[in-house]
Amino acid sequence: MALSRRTVMQGGLMAGLGLAGGSLTGLPGVRSLAFAADKSVEAPVGTLGAGTLVVVFLRGGADMLALVAPADDPDYRAARTPELRVMAEGPKAGIRLDQTLAPTLDFRLHPDAAPLAELYAARRLAIVHAVGLTDGTRSHFVAQDLMERGIAREEDLARTGSGWVARWLGEGGHGEGEQGRVPAIGTAAAPAAALAGLGGALAVPDLRGGLAPPGGPQAAAVLAALSRQGDGAYERAARAALGGLSAVDGRLPRGTDGKVAAYDAEGGAVYEETEAGRALQTVARMLKMDIGLRAACVDVAGWDTHENQQGRFATAVGQLSRALAAFHADTLRYERDLTVVVMSEFGRRLRGNRSQGTDHGHGGAMLVLGGRVAGGRMLGRWPGLASHQLDRGVDLAVTTDYRTVLSELIGAPATRGFPGFQGAPLGVLRG
Amino acid sequence: MGGTMTIPPAVVFGRLAFGPRAAEPDADSGRPDWLARWLDRQLSPDLSSDGRDDPEVERHLAAAKLRIRYPAGDGWEAVDEDRPLACLGQPIEALWPLAANRPAVAGPERQRPRLETAAATLIRAVHSRWQLREVLVDFWHNHFNVNAAGEPAVAAALPVYDRDVIRRHALGNFRAFLEAVATSSAMQVYLNNRSSRAGAANENYARELFELHGLGRDAYLNALYNRWRDVPGALRGAPDGYIDQDVYEAARAFTGWTLEDGAGLGGDARLPVTGRFTYVEGWHDTYQKRVLGREFDPFQSPMDDGRRVLDLVADHPATARNLCTALCRRLVADDPPAGLVALAARGWTESRSKPDQIARVVRAIALSPDFARIRDAKVKRPLELVASFARGAGIDLVPTNALLGELDGSGQRLFGWPAPVGHPDRMEAWLGAAAMRRRWSLLLGLAENRWETGAIDLAARFPAPLPAAAAADRWQGMLHGGEPEPTTTAAILAGMGLAADAMLMPGTKAGDDRLRRIAAFVAMAPRFNQR
Repeated sequence: MALSRRTVMQGGLMAGLGLAGGSLTGLPGVRSLAFAADKSVEAPVGTLGAGTLVVVFLRGGADMLALVAPADDPDYRAARTPELRVMAEGPKAGIRLDQTLAPTLDFRLHPDAAPLAELYAARRLAIVHAVGLTDGTRSHFVAQDLMERGIAREEDLARTGSGWVARWLGEGGHGEGEQGRVPAIGTAAAPAAALAGLGGALAVPDLRGGLAPPGGPQAAAVLAALSRQGDGAYERAARAALGGLSAVDGRLPRGTDGKVAAYDAEGGAVYEETEAGRALQTVARMLKMDIGLRAACVDVAGWDTHENQQGRFATAVGQLSRALAAFHADTLRYERDLTVVVMSEFGRRLRGNRSQGTDHGHGGAMLVLGGRVAGGRMLGRWPGLASHQLDRGVDLAVTTDYRTVLSELIGAPATRGFPGFQGAPLGVLRG
Repeated sequence: MGGTMTIPPAVVFGRLAFGPRAAEPDADSGRPDWLARWLDRQLSPDLSSDGRDDPEVERHLAAAKLRIRYPAGDGWEAVDEDRPLACLGQPIEALWPLAANRPAVAGPERQRPRLETAAATLIRAVHSRWQLREVLVDFWHNHFNVNAAGEPAVAAALPVYDRDVIRRHALGNFRAFLEAVATSSAMQVYLNNRSSRAGAANENYARELFELHGLGRDAYLNALYNRWRDVPGALRGAPDGYIDQDVYEAARAFTGWTLEDGAGLGGDARLPVTGRFTYVEGWHDTYQKRVLGREFDPFQSPMDDGRRVLDLVADHPATARNLCTALCRRLVADDPPAGLVALAARGWTESRSKPDQIARVVRAIALSPDFARIRDAKVKRPLELVASFARGAGIDLVPTNALLGELDGSGQRLFGWPAPVGHPDRMEAWLGAAAMRRRWSLLLGLAENRWETGAIDLAARFPAPLPAAAAADRWQGMLHGGEPEPTTTAAILAGMGLAADAMLMPGTKAGDDRLRRIAAFVAMAPRFNQR
């Protein structure tokens, strides 16, 4: 990767070299297996420390009971048609997971999640099941708001304006961040709610066209002057955008024609042209810029499968799994300082509906991926799927608060991200 | 009412129209009651009986063409042509084949109804005399959001949804509006009610009917109560809100509401394939129900269960609050004052059986003291930004594929928001870094006619050479309809490296380039981006 003319001009010394915060460990393509402890041994608890966290949010309420499920559980088989189940046998059988969560049950991954099964077998991926909100909501929008703000009760929504990632990174107010640093990005067009309140956070869906303000240096000069006129929301946003965008743009390698060079992924990674693929490629590219990236919020839509779930879900699972595997391969030399967590606002109803779909449910699963993850394990407490074990008689119960997982990942002081929450860590990360 | 005399028309047109327009014919602003008179006209638009628009809009709609191009495929020939907006006047049965798998249809044909509807939306936003109606059509499209960029059947149904549901009811009665939405092909597909059957009903539509279309999330009390009878007021048939048990029951009430989409009826029988709404008694869950504390007896007449749910939703006090909060948020401020919402909600409830219920509420909001008092509490969304720039700069806007693509990239893909909540209506959603960049790019692209949407008629506005400062001032007057701000003028001149008295020569390339850029820069100032 060559230094671009712009980068040199802006004096970004380490830009383009792919060094993240000077904390590089490991080598491309070489996995550190020193921590591959026996899965049955309780691992000591770790935290991300100064590493980077990528939060992949599956919008719409992903049916985790069709992604990771006890394929041989009679209650599961009775509640769902084969189209809505992970199968224990047959041509579309799921991929068996070694696990101690419920040793008598045959937990399997959806067959289109084969890339995730490999990461699980390589002990880079842990799965926390029966996890979610303790609040009783089945509303997408209430549940997403609660999770993005890192709270558990609807009455706290009105007094919690900031996002949990913003509080974790600790800047709180509406400052504009450190010059030339981008501590967090969202890959949706609208700013990520979990980053609300964080100065310097950027919403950057795509880097491929560059991020310089339109209209050249003249427009940039005018915009800079216009944005200093006052301190309203528009002026603040304009200043943050001008600073952050030029910092990122200046680090994008360019060809001789001035166009942003195509991204050269490492480790043989191939990002597909999907929402997850594009977004995770953007995150990888930012990560390698030495721009101080600590968190990235990635949205992946398409999980609200009330109707004809089978094909849509299989497609979504395949795209997500391949994107996560590509990201993992591409960022392997960062893996000691990089963790990905995949979550959704709720799981879906155990019983299918007559539209060959599933309606809004409660408990779901979270996936945690990275070099620090004590992977190859399923964590949490499995509540069972008999009627009396279900939440309100219909949905997978929540036995692990979603904040348990997230607060372990961000470590002390966890109260900053999740005020008032105290939960014993599950041991998702290695010590 | 008190404060209305003090509102400059440009401020009103920023909120109740897509911005002020040079030579706005309705702005008889010299009269103290001009706003009330303007509202009288705007709230009873003079539309001909077939719902057609004013002549200027009709002329633009007739002249508009969008490119469509795709290679030959399995079952179709290659196409590469500029095609008129041919989908827009069609009935559902003419468009429904675009949703079918057989015979196969090329992807761009499936997306065509959405593109055409978006183009027509831009035309109307810029050119329509009935600006307030257009603002409300935009509001209702988001309130009753469908995603036409997803399933082809939603796209096929969009022109009919826009014309016969949203536009027809935008100023009308909410209860009638609810039923038009519930029975629309677009919503039936989007929220899956067409596949809902007795036995395990599909809850998608029923849930969003309560949470988004009607009572609102503040009335969703599921975290507080597990049983319907525990909800305060439920035992006297007037619950404070709803819980999942109401969603389950309402979903049962709407079973059998479906579309003629060819679905099997048992044996060899199938529904026709027209895309029209229909009711299939055999799919309906006929037994007794309980919704919002009211008992429904078993075996009601066709569609009566669903209609009764719509009645209960339309009449609930939480619906009045939810809808009036949303209207005030659209028209006034992200966080509208509680007193204004309460005033609007009273009007909403009092006029709930009136055919012009919505128009009355909008009028009450627009004539309220809060409406006159609050300024610049909204950030324009990209559609508003584009339309208001075209109106202020005097661009005779012609929508093109390229402009529609830019609008998609701005974050406001019209009729393409995936979740049923619609495009966000709070400013923070539109102020992300990349979104700011797209916003500025839209303005420069329009000013410089980068997407062939129509040039600014500079000769008409700048007949003689003038100093750069005067040009910046004049553009502010045209775009904002108010006094120029010296700080904006100074910022633009400094950034462009122009002395205040540097003469700009219209008609020369250098002069015109600068005049166009100054227009875009004026529109990048905070003032133009707020309303």
